[in-house]
Amino acid sequence: MAAEVLTTPYYRVNVLTGTRAARVVDDPAEAARIVAGAKNPLYVLGPDAVRLSAGDKLLIDYALDIAAARDMPICATAHVKRKLVEYGKKPDSTYDIIEIVHFLKMPDWKGVRGEGQHDLVLFSGVRCDLAERGLSTLKHFAPHLRTFAICRRGHPNADYTVPVTARGDRWTEYLQGLVAALG
Amino acid sequence: MTGGKLKDEVVRTTIRAEDDWEPIGPTPMPSVTDLRNWDLRLLDSYEPFYAPFCDLCCLCTYGKCDLTADRKGACGLDMASQQARMILLKCLMGTAAHGAHARHMVDFLIEKYGPEHPIDLGGQVNVESPIIRTVLGLKPQTLADLRKAVEYVEGEVIHLLSATHTGQEGDHRDFESKAFHAGMIDHVALEAADIAQIVGFGYPTSVADTPLVEIGWGAIDKTRPVIVVIGHNAITSNAIVDYLKEKGLYDKVEVAGICCTALDVTRYASFAKVVGPLSQQRFFLKTGIADVIVTDEQCVLTDIPDLAKQTGSALIACSDKICYGLPNRSEEEVEAVLAHVLEEGEGVLLLDPKKAAEVAVKAALALAPRRDKSLLSTEDAAKLAAKCRGTCELCNQACPNLLTVSVAVNAMRQGDPAPIGRLFLRCIGCGACEQACPHHIPVQRLMQAGAVQEKYKLRSGRGPIHDVEIRKVGSPIVLGTIPGVVLFAGCSNFPEDIDDVAWLAEELARRKYIVTLSGCSAMAAAMRKDAEGKTIYEKYTPEFDAGCIVNVGSCVANAHVVGAAIKIANIFACLPNRANFELMADYILNRVGACGVVWGPYSQKALTIGTGAVRWGIPVVLGPHGSKYSRLFMSKKEHGDWRVMDGRTRQLVDTGEPTPEHMMITVESKERALLTIIKQCFRRNDTPPGRAIKLNSYISVAKQVLNSLPDDLQNFVRTERDIPIVYKREVLAYLKEVGWQPKPTLSLPTVIGTYETRVPIEATVKELPKK
Ligand code: SF4
Ligand code: SF4
Ligand code: SF4
Repeated sequence: MAAEVLTTPYYRVNVLTGTRAARVVDDPAEAARIVAGAKNPLYVLGPDAVRLSAGDKLLIDYALDIAAARDMPICATAHVKRKLVEYGKKPDSTYDIIEIVHFLKMPDWKGVRGEGQHDLVLFSGVRCDLAERGLSTLKHFAPHLRTFAICRRGHPNADYTVPVTARGDRWTEYLQGLVAALG
Repeated sequence: MTGGKLKDEVVRTTIRAEDDWEPIGPTPMPSVTDLRNWDLRLLDSYEPFYAPFCDLCCLCTYGKCDLTADRKGACGLDMASQQARMILLKCLMGTAAHGAHARHMVDFLIEKYGPEHPIDLGGQVNVESPIIRTVLGLKPQTLADLRKAVEYVEGEVIHLLSATHTGQEGDHRDFESKAFHAGMIDHVALEAADIAQIVGFGYPTSVADTPLVEIGWGAIDKTRPVIVVIGHNAITSNAIVDYLKEKGLYDKVEVAGICCTALDVTRYASFAKVVGPLSQQRFFLKTGIADVIVTDEQCVLTDIPDLAKQTGSALIACSDKICYGLPNRSEEEVEAVLAHVLEEGEGVLLLDPKKAAEVAVKAALALAPRRDKSLLSTEDAAKLAAKCRGTCELCNQACPNLLTVSVAVNAMRQGDPAPIGRLFLRCIGCGACEQACPHHIPVQRLMQAGAVQEKYKLRSGRGPIHDVEIRKVGSPIVLGTIPGVVLFAGCSNFPEDIDDVAWLAEELARRKYIVTLSGCSAMAAAMRKDAEGKTIYEKYTPEFDAGCIVNVGSCVANAHVVGAAIKIANIFACLPNRANFELMADYILNRVGACGVVWGPYSQKALTIGTGAVRWGIPVVLGPHGSKYSRLFMSKKEHGDWRVMDGRTRQLVDTGEPTPEHMMITVESKERALLTIIKQCFRRNDTPPGRAIKLNSYISVAKQVLNSLPDDLQNFVRTERDIPIVYKREVLAYLKEVGWQPKPTLSLPTVIGTYETRVPIEATVKELPKK
């Protein structure tokens, strides 16, 4: 059976008007395999990661666990760095959301740690309409990398997306499952 | 089409070449390709960035074509070119809207006062039209001259629009060059429209301290007959004011506006009031407070006939742009029209402003006593929300501002109006939630029960920046000791609270930036009070000076801020501006720390204004909805090529300094916006004390919003003299850690000389005789 794709996410403003839609990754273990399979992944964090909670933690707490599990560099967009400073962490980049997308579409960019262009980019906490636009840029203009929207609202323009997850407890389970599977 | 004897002759006649106010520069009345080299030079440093909103093209019957990734359409267009083509098309919608507005205004006033009616902007404004002077090479002296400027815009629009047809332009950079052209001529139209209305209606000019007027839906006295004027072209609204004055009724009838007509009618009569920006249009019309709705043009909801029917408001449409399918009763007698309006409840099209004014006032007087204008009570709102359990969330999913409508509606059901009151402050007024709700809960009506009926003070628009102000601030701006000039322009598609613009404006004003505002942004900025109940317009001096806050006026008044940047080059630096676009734009790009901000972008007009600003060398910062325009202009930051010429030594210098860093960027949060705006005001020309002042703001805001030094500080410190004293030790330690090296400084930075142009590099230093 062909993998399920997402054309109509939670926010209707992000409905796909096109033919290439994100593959829905239902199973956090599969999500972990995708992340683990990347050679030089990057995690892009937006301000909703420090505003929204998942269960009794902030979304950023899960994102940091996911990143830590694979020693993944972090790009802290908008004012996310403030929270990281509070946590005693230093982001690898503080390019803003559009800036990081701009660099990600350049095939020969050296990446946030100077180790070469990234091959997988995870996104969490970026305002959904803006994130969708950035994912569209990468879908069309960055054939050299894949994108994964770690967002309960779903993103058709990503290569991989979390399914639309209405229930908060399911979302927390997904994040916990992903962290656990990355071990 | 450049050159050609015939064209040259037409141009020379149009601009009265024999007028010797300044020598004629290289590009009088430029055609589509005349400034192309400048555009391509800009695009070399600031690449177009596309974020397609739609992956398909359906513009011709070869399609639909799927342009995903590397595919091409049947005509050969790829995704980047298609995006750029749509951008050009959208920009042309904006240019056409402003151009038609200007044409209507100028023709109306010529009809009234004759073509020779003089352009006189008062004792403080000698350089009356910096944009028209620079672009056309014409110094307009009469309304007929303004008509020439509008005719030039009209002519260019045809060529540009033609390029969007299938089988025409095929390169995305050339489409962008054309979009720049559309933006630049848009500014010509803006300037012509505002100058015309200033001289035709006697709007304020040459005064800074314009009256404070009332704004807010709570400011409207619904016990009186209420006429609500909506749109951008105040001809009919001003006729209403005239009629009320003539009949001694101005203190008996409320005239309140939404969108820029509101700003312009308060420039005409300070007893008029402003309801608020576009985002509150649907909400307010649904309250039924308007006895009569008068629509003119632009940003007017297209379903007002339905809204008017629902509330029993009378509707008078006054523009040929928006006829709504209504019968045209312009030729009928007032009493006959009134009969249709009052007895049959018919909406009417009235293209005669005087007649429309009389009908509006008489209809309001007749209707007001019979209409029930009571607002929805908390109890009734709770009943209307009764079926919501807050669980289906279809409203949330439909909301283009990503708001959690369901929580507010569910609270309302339980009798708590506070959450829906907060929702009101973030709502952009689309009505999508109501359409999505399976129980047809009228969410926007519920807001009546929760929205605080507040009123605020707004300073009415003041029009052009005075020459004397330019003389005063020119030097500190160019040296950098006034850290920047920021214009908050455009619409009310705000990502979060409506008063965030006020927050941004105040953060900048207290750091001694010159803050200017226009349009819906100027209105929204009034909607925040401090502990003493004062708005920023009451707290800050309305002058074009450090730490001051100026409302220039409606959207067409944006021209005056671009004009101020040109005047710095022309009046302060004494560079000739006549038909000298590149010289002016190069000066602004390198030496005038100006930045445009559209925090709530929605319209095609805002896109074209912003695109025009970029051609002038003014960077633009957009709120998150701006990403849906689908195009930005981004540099490669520290990895880019930042070589420019030193105009005095004529050497190519690698500055290593990304300033201005981007020409159009979207940012997500207001905190990041503040940081970005400050950075976009850096210029290569900043002196060390100037750069130190700018960096002082940059560092202080980074500490405020990121709790650290900025991570790109090394890009903007050229020598140790640039480091602000208060942060010296900390910054030096940081620079050492990141391996910072000093960068060269220039005596006169310019990009003239780095691309093929008819402007000689000497022109960047040549000065006009001091006036
Ligand atoms: S204009 Fe070009 S891309 Fe668009 S539908 Fe026609 S052939 Fe296809
Ligand atoms: S009317 Fe307001 S709350 Fe409703 S969908 Fe539109 S923006 Fe959202
Ligand atoms: S769509 Fe209607 S019923 Fe559903 S949550 Fe929203 S307001 Fe309530």
